[in-house]
Amino acid sequence: MNSGLFLGLSPLLVVSLGGLLLMVAEAFSKRRVDETSDDRDAGPSSELSLGTAVTLLAGAVFAAAIWFVGPEKLEGASSVAPWVIVDRFTLFFSFVLCLGGALAALLAGGYLPEHRLDRGEFYPLIIFSTVGAMILASAGDLLSLFLGLETMSLGVYAMVGFRRASLRSTEAAVKYFLLGSFAAALLLYGGALLYGATGHTDLAGIREAIANMQPGKGSNFALVITAAVLIIVGLAFKVSAVPFHMWTPDAYEGAPTPTTTYMAVAVKCAAFATMLRVLIGAFGEGGLESWAAGWPPVVALLAVLTMTVANLVAGQQESVKRMLAYSSIAHAGYVLVGVVATMRAGGDAQGSVMFYLLTYTVSTVGAFGALILMGSRGAEAVSYEDLAGVGKRHPAAGFAFSLFLLSLAGVPPTAGFFGKLYIVKASIGAGLYPLAIILLLNSVISAYYYLRVMVYMYMREPAPGAPIAKPMRSGYVATALVVAGVLVLVLGLWPTTSLQIAVEAALATR
Amino acid sequence: MTVPLEYFVIVAAALFMTGAVGFLIRRNLLVLLMSIELMLNAVNLTLVAFNRQYVGGHAGQIFTFFIIAIAAAEAAVGLAIVLAFFRLRSTVRSDDADLLRN
Repeated sequence: MNSGLFLGLSPLLVVSLGGLLLMVAEAFSKRRVDETSDDRDAGPSSELSLGTAVTLLAGAVFAAAIWFVGPEKLEGASSVAPWVIVDRFTLFFSFVLCLGGALAALLAGGYLPEHRLDRGEFYPLIIFSTVGAMILASAGDLLSLFLGLETMSLGVYAMVGFRRASLRSTEAAVKYFLLGSFAAALLLYGGALLYGATGHTDLAGIREAIANMQPGKGSNFALVITAAVLIIVGLAFKVSAVPFHMWTPDAYEGAPTPTTTYMAVAVKCAAFATMLRVLIGAFGEGGLESWAAGWPPVVALLAVLTMTVANLVAGQQESVKRMLAYSSIAHAGYVLVGVVATMRAGGDAQGSVMFYLLTYTVSTVGAFGALILMGSRGAEAVSYEDLAGVGKRHPAAGFAFSLFLLSLAGVPPTAGFFGKLYIVKASIGAGLYPLAIILLLNSVISAYYYLRVMVYMYMREPAPGAPIAKPMRSGYVATALVVAGVLVLVLGLWPTTSLQIAVEAALATR
Repeated sequence: MTVPLEYFVIVAAALFMTGAVGFLIRRNLLVLLMSIELMLNAVNLTLVAFNRQYVGGHAGQIFTFFIIAIAAAEAAVGLAIVLAFFRLRSTVRSDDADLLRN
């Protein structure tokens, strides 16, 4: 048996095996939730939530361990390439995805019992979606890319519609499912055309074949261009870039909040991982990477539209959850700026993109987690008015929410500040001054709606007789918030080490 | 006499366009599901047709098997979601999914 191969795949294997065990454990657990019961501990959630978080953290630990051993030293790990590539890029994203998934599972452990949604199948769904996301981040072939994408998406569709009795949740699932599968079909057709033009389904082979073509000539090159357009549109749907973002606010608002967290964090990171792999791995040569006739101007346009539209619309929202959904679209725009810079400035720029995704993950988990913490059964915190005065009545919850909002807004010394700083630095280094300026202007606009939440929390009193949000009590949610909060501060105070790690991971793909 | 490769590719492109246009203009959730299936089948046809050009490997045909399997799984999840929607709303018109908006 080949131990190097097993070790190389161990993050995937550990997480999959844990998921299977939890499924069996859930099936044999006698505790079934009664929708009318008021007993919060009736459901199977607490053990499963902890089990899920431990499983995913184990995946993250294995990824980190292989990082220190050095993936290039594992003999035999390359025998599954290009379907699954075990390199530092994969390990970095495996770590981030497992971390985001584990924190989302902890949030679910508090949220689901509180809102009487306590059915155990949520946890296997989260685990297997994460497996799909990890495959997506490690895929060097269109086939495994598609498999990972669908494994991830199918689980998330079910998680969005998890609150079956609620029309909002089901409607969100309908919208997300339809647009998600439409995007997957576009992506696939692009892949099929690429195969037709190049004869390869692996990204490296596609890159080589494109590099050998005569740019701008022949029917094969026309096929490649069509395929590139289809694939970029499909990926833009997945990362929810404007104008392909229509599903995002609806799906994020209607879904149970732990699912929203998971979508904003893991699904988005995995989509960006595969975007980096495809754009740089497959479309990195043969004129496709040029500023004159390639993808960078298209992605730059998407970035500008995404940042600007999302920030302008986010400011007009009345629901905090929907505002956070638009904020996550805006953050996708910031990342896209980094993706454009990657083509010119190389590994450092790509490292800044990956570092940004890490800071975005911890800040977003925290923000949604704080929103979960603010609500309880029948008194969920949704609108700005719900949050009036919470900061004074419940200082700890208010402080946590403020910290994560400041990080999302990019205020030092939080993680979000350095995430933005490095992206701006990378785009200036690549000579993309207009993009850097638009990014800065947009983050000023975004401060408006983040600060508005804090104004409501600390400076407003609820109107007499208005329903007020009652914070829930849950050790799981509190744990997730503490972990996310510590990471936000650590990444904000000592950003250089993790940036170096991200750059090292980025260099693995070049 | 063999049918030229272009014919297959053009038929597949026409199928894909039918599916995509159908997805964008129709308002019945079940028809939308069918449009997506049509698009996936167009992809299958494209892959199998191009496989004739690259005789050395069978990547295109193998890819097709995976797409068929995934399409079945996707249809199962999609129908379940549409069913859940129908139970609550007693309709499958996509225009009636209008609760969530700005």
